[in-house]
Amino acid sequence: MPELPLLLEILLKIGMVVSPLLLAVAYATYAERKVIGYIQVRIGPNRVGPRGWLQPIADAVKLLTKEIILPRQANRYLFLLAPVLALVPALAVWAVIPFSDGWVIADINAALLYVLALSSLGVYGIILAGWASNSKYALLGAMRSAAQMVSYEIAMGFALVGVLMAAGSLHLGQIVSAQQGGIWHWYWLPLLPLFVVYFIAGVAETNRAPFDVPEGESEIVAGFHVEYSGMAFALFFLAEYANMILIAALTALLFLGGWLSPFEGLLPEAAFALPVIGWLLGPGIHWLLLKTAFFLFVFFWLRATFPRYRYDQLMRLGWKVLIPVTLVWIVVIGLAIGFNLGPWFS
Amino acid sequence: MITLSHYLVLGAVVFCLGVAGLFINRKNLIIVLMCLELMLLAVNINFIAFAYFLQDLAGQVFVFFILTVAAAEAAIGLAILVMLFKVRGTISVGELNEMKG
Amino acid sequence: MTLELAVFYGFAAVLVLASLLMITVRNPVHAALSLVAAFFAAAVLWVLLEAEFLGIVLVLVYVGAVMVLFLFVVMTLDLNVSQLREGFVRYLPIGGLVALVMGAGMIWVLTRETVFERTTPLRAGADYNNTLAIGQVLYTEYVYPFEIAAVILLVAVIAAITLTLDPRRRRTSKSIDPAEAVKVRAKDRIKMVDLRQK
Repeated sequence: MPELPLLLEILLKIGMVVSPLLLAVAYATYAERKVIGYIQVRIGPNRVGPRGWLQPIADAVKLLTKEIILPRQANRYLFLLAPVLALVPALAVWAVIPFSDGWVIADINAALLYVLALSSLGVYGIILAGWASNSKYALLGAMRSAAQMVSYEIAMGFALVGVLMAAGSLHLGQIVSAQQGGIWHWYWLPLLPLFVVYFIAGVAETNRAPFDVPEGESEIVAGFHVEYSGMAFALFFLAEYANMILIAALTALLFLGGWLSPFEGLLPEAAFALPVIGWLLGPGIHWLLLKTAFFLFVFFWLRATFPRYRYDQLMRLGWKVLIPVTLVWIVVIGLAIGFNLGPWFS
Repeated sequence: MITLSHYLVLGAVVFCLGVAGLFINRKNLIIVLMCLELMLLAVNINFIAFAYFLQDLAGQVFVFFILTVAAAEAAIGLAILVMLFKVRGTISVGELNEMKG
Repeated sequence: MTLELAVFYGFAAVLVLASLLMITVRNPVHAALSLVAAFFAAAVLWVLLEAEFLGIVLVLVYVGAVMVLFLFVVMTLDLNVSQLREGFVRYLPIGGLVALVMGAGMIWVLTRETVFERTTPLRAGADYNNTLAIGQVLYTEYVYPFEIAAVILLVAVIAAITLTLDPRRRRTSKSIDPAEAVKVRAKDRIKMVDLRQK
């Protein structure tokens, strides 16, 4: 078969993205517990390994060895299929995320559309889990989450429309290079309302606090995954954290210049020519990782700070606040592009 | 080599399955709606196949409009269905034999 | 067999199988899920036909939104499946026959004429941008149909909302308004009665 080397290359690339991603997910759980711990004036996990470093591994071993319990009245095929359906889109989106100039598995033109389409598939895992469990709490969680995710998807889509209008492209690499020219050229400034809306919608899409009504431990036990245990539960967990990292990375790519350096245009050219420091100051994957880590921290920070939204408030925020804001700002961007408002749209 | 007729035959098969579904599930309004979606999908496959093999984008634009209208149809259809269930307590077509709401 | 042909036959099989399942399964939730699989397979075939924009839009709009609505409705309504299956066996022969005759006729025509033997002369290059190409015709040649489509969507939004939000029926449901519920003060609910002898 002539395609064999190509297939091997693709598999290798996938491995190079997925394995660090899974490691990042494991340590995101650790970071979350540590961050929330310090915010609440305690020290978080500190028993397994030095300073608790091995805690995620202990958790993984625990989840792997636990029994998967199948409820008697559950629809067993769908029950087992649901966690897989939650995880697959969460990992498949990473195929089009560039990590640096040209560092991407599939360099496609409609990347932004692909991201939006695949992130809309994540809801299937959740509603199927809720329905197949045949439990009232699970079904309630599933219904809440279906309504919530479909609603916030609209605000998210409109925020992305603003970005693609500004950049004139759906290609993520081109969107980043359209932001070139220093920290004031990044889209967080001209698209500030969309930036805020996108991040809020992202938090709601991933069902994270303060929008975690589909889980809502204190009202509906644990929502759609009440009946899940062991590895099946772990898959939901992986999907949630992979989505969280994805939203953080996308926010960095679309609004904070991705791998571009914040020092661009601020420091003299000579600084970038220095041997090691120049590389650190210049654009590169480390900036993307740093920005992603920052947004991930904001996710944890929100969880430690805000109480859960009430369900009707959450829907009102989505439909009556976020969507109108994005609509107005799309018109503003249209005018700004029409009048060549500098320095962003000239 | 894939020819145009490969796609057209596929579209025809899916369309016929949609028609058959309309016949055998005629009592179930929600499946009837889904069968309509399936038939529209079959039509769309034909349009896209023609657009590709004739190298004419008009087919794709047509599919774009069909998708828009079909999404609107699904939304209104489901809204009517929910109202119907609220009023009558059933969505069986056989029970809907009077015109009072 | 080339990779392209393998992909075509694989996903065509998925599409036909999923459609068949959709019209025959008993549970409406399973039917909706089969339709999701059918849409997904069709989207892959569209990408194979260099219509990646519409392929992704199909996944985004149909799989991501319309089918979620269908599932939502099927799961929340308390459907009586056996009543809905009435006549399934009775209409199975005639339905099958009609589909078979129609399908046979169409396939006969489609495989007989040499017009349909057409293969495309060359594929577009790697820098072909389907989204750009559609956008260019959509905003020039088809701008009026495009605006009409937008109006249709607006009408659909208004229609769906007014249909489901019937103000006359609101009080008959047991739903509570949380905004009203939090506003309640103790004196609205408790009447203090002085029982001491005056």
